[in-house]
Amino acid sequence: MQNETMAGSDAKGDCRVAVAPTRALSVEVKTEDPELFERGIREVVEEALSQLGKVKGAVSVVDQGALNYVLAARVETAVRAAFPDLSPLSPRVKRQQTGRDAPRRSRLYAPGNSPRLLVGIELHGADCVLLDLEDSVPPAEKAAARVLVKHLLAAIDFPGEVWVRINPLDLGGRDDLPEVLRGRPHGVALPKAESEGDVAALSRELASLEKSLDVPVGTTLVMPILETAQGILHAEEIAAADPRVAVLAFGAEDFTRDVGARRTPESLLFARSMLVATAKAAGIQASDTVYADVENEKGLLAEATLARDLGFDGKGAIHPAQIGPLHAVFSPSEKELEEARKVVAAAEDAQRRGIGAIAIGGKMIDRPVLERARRALYLADHLARRDSR
Amino acid sequence: MKNALGREIPERIGNRSVEPFAGAFVTKRTGRKAARPQKWSAPRENKVLPSLEAAIEATGLKDGMTISFHHSFREGDRVINQVVDACARAGLKNLRLFPTALFPTHAKLVDHIQAGVVNRIEGSMNGPVGAFISQGGKLAEPGTLRSHGGRWRAIEAGDVAIDVAFVAASQADPYGNANGINGRTPCGPIGFCRVDAQYARKTVVVTNDLVPYPAYPFEIEQGWTDYVVEVDEVGDPAQIASGTLEMTRSPARLRIARLAAEAVRASPYFKEGLSFQGGAGGISLAATMYLALEMEKAKIVGSFVMGGGTKIMVDMLHKGLVRAILDGQAFDPTAVASIREDPAHVMMDPGLYANYDSRGCSTYLLDAAFLGATEVDLDFNVNVNTHSDGRLLHGIGGHQDVAAGAKMTLITAPSIRGRLPVILDRVTTVTTPGEVIDVIVTERGLAVNPKRQDLKDSLLSAGLPVRDLAEMKEEADRLVRPLGRPVFADEVIAAIEWRDGTVIDVVRKVEGWE
Repeated sequence: MQNETMAGSDAKGDCRVAVAPTRALSVEVKTEDPELFERGIREVVEEALSQLGKVKGAVSVVDQGALNYVLAARVETAVRAAFPDLSPLSPRVKRQQTGRDAPRRSRLYAPGNSPRLLVGIELHGADCVLLDLEDSVPPAEKAAARVLVKHLLAAIDFPGEVWVRINPLDLGGRDDLPEVLRGRPHGVALPKAESEGDVAALSRELASLEKSLDVPVGTTLVMPILETAQGILHAEEIAAADPRVAVLAFGAEDFTRDVGARRTPESLLFARSMLVATAKAAGIQASDTVYADVENEKGLLAEATLARDLGFDGKGAIHPAQIGPLHAVFSPSEKELEEARKVVAAAEDAQRRGIGAIAIGGKMIDRPVLERARRALYLADHLARRDSR
Repeated sequence: MKNALGREIPERIGNRSVEPFAGAFVTKRTGRKAARPQKWSAPRENKVLPSLEAAIEATGLKDGMTISFHHSFREGDRVINQVVDACARAGLKNLRLFPTALFPTHAKLVDHIQAGVVNRIEGSMNGPVGAFISQGGKLAEPGTLRSHGGRWRAIEAGDVAIDVAFVAASQADPYGNANGINGRTPCGPIGFCRVDAQYARKTVVVTNDLVPYPAYPFEIEQGWTDYVVEVDEVGDPAQIASGTLEMTRSPARLRIARLAAEAVRASPYFKEGLSFQGGAGGISLAATMYLALEMEKAKIVGSFVMGGGTKIMVDMLHKGLVRAILDGQAFDPTAVASIREDPAHVMMDPGLYANYDSRGCSTYLLDAAFLGATEVDLDFNVNVNTHSDGRLLHGIGGHQDVAAGAKMTLITAPSIRGRLPVILDRVTTVTTPGEVIDVIVTERGLAVNPKRQDLKDSLLSAGLPVRDLAEMKEEADRLVRPLGRPVFADEVIAAIEWRDGTVIDVVRKVEGWE
């Protein structure tokens, strides 16, 4: 058929939607067990079509067990490819704001183009889920992925944070933003950030979209990912580029390639330390790179421990099985919490008595120690509330 | 009439009058068990016959009679098809089949039903045969689905009279002793049919490995066996591990397994002497593995693990994490070899672990059990028999027996399968009543039966994500609803018996769709 557009695939958990412009709207649904599923699929498809506007075309859906938000995303992608003038859908989203300093012991990457791998991604307890539109999505699938990510964002109530890693602004990132911002992610991760200008440009885009989408300006956070020599050397200006910047993340794979290094703990020490120092100087968080060997829990623990000892607040994960070990490493221990409670109590006591200096058993407590104690208690409290969900 | 769960049950099904389900442990029978006819045998009697046809003739098998089989070869079984083929060649009609379970390999039975060789099936109508019957294929009488223990009880009670029991055995001797763990193609314990062999009017051992007397262990005894037939093939052991026996790799399912194991760890039962059931199915296998890790960490030794034997259980035994395996059927070759080599890997039959009318079941001594579900509902009822479109899918297996017995029964199931919600307001068919289910574990969290506040407190204080079942249902529904709903006709195609012989639900023919 001429001018037919397609979206989706025949993979499990996905569906294939084809749209052919005709004079009237028609919807055809193919699914295993039509008695059970056709009615529901039709309802979701028709709702998406009516929201998109006056669609005149033959729409056919071949379902492989797609969830409602996948169906809506595939319909939107195929229809907008056929009718490029239609504006993007803005599904209703309920999202609770978090703070710049929300706990981010783990950031779990999930490929934004695979319905099957995205199912239940919110359920593994990650502090921060990072839906990826960059490296894990082939160029031909970028357009469909950003729409899928938008619908997923709207449909799922994330117990922690949900972020989107967009493409670099000039390599598709500018097209990612208007879609994914409609799903109200907590933040946007910017890969290959190399300068203040990169972050400023992103921030401008975000501000104008926030304005047009009726979202309070400045609420979408930013996580620059430093993964080149330029990025590491300009960490300071990147961290200070905008108040949206809440965390600096390290990307070791690209960094080693960029500088011609081999990946060893020692070879990355400068970059890691530089990133941590810069982040902390700017009063924001530092998050370490991912550990790629999913089967090797020992290796993961060793690398996470190194990162924690350097001052990182968390680390990337590429599989849900990595979250438990990361949380074990990056959570304050019972001993640390006990110490922290003492420090905070001593500070409150000193304040009540109008004394400037804080001391426990004659030992003076410095201000950074007090701040770290408060942070540990805050984290523990926050995590306890999350886990009781 | 309505039974204790409010399910509408006819007063008669086929030519049996129905006792409605009244509660998991309400029925208390005091009568006497049935028995087979007495028979004398001369010393050194020859029991070996040259063929299945000869056995059919010698047993006096006639039109309309009942023949029984066990399923220990699972998908690898070659005996049911051979025997029914032989019956067809002998011109027999209207036979009633009484297998312990059927598998996809028995799809050929559909031809025999259509040709009138078989006209009733008493027992699990799963796989292609179940689909055929649900979709309008005709049987002369509705079937009855029973649990492992329920089937045993029904035979002992005389509810089902077996004319000829055909016992597939990987090894037998000419005097009728037989087993499933030795020979060229061992499948593991064949204890399921020990009751058939003792209660059938005639018992025929079918083997591909006839060895000189004595063939042991004596799973089937000479005193029960009328005839022995040697055939080329009884089954393919490589196929006992088929189907639901692969460890899951899905992160969501692994999460369910991990939550289930953590729930047991958090329970008061997690201590020295812990006993549990590790079932088949990818999630149960993974849960067993996670629980083994927890036991290892806590340095506790379990008293016994029971179930279909698996490599995971054998590994636990070798590591000293449990004192014994009680094994009703082998799910992989490692389990078969272990039974041969290790006296702590004990074979058992449903009469020992599951029979309601007995003086003790092993399941009653279980602390914890991991079981699966096709559907669950807000009353904690579980369905493992029918698909949400009303189709008969699976037998009951040991589900009822284990759930009723264990102190802590955990149902592990994803909240959605594809577009199919698993948590419903009301299950399509009740297999196991909510009163014996303690925890439902999905990837969204754990729901504890309101009558187990004690357990809920334990799980909460361990920091586990205890949640409201209705809330998990709502979350899942948003992703997949709405769903079509079948409209059922009055016509009953199968009765679901509770393990005590009462009827807990019926499966009706699908008439149309809402």
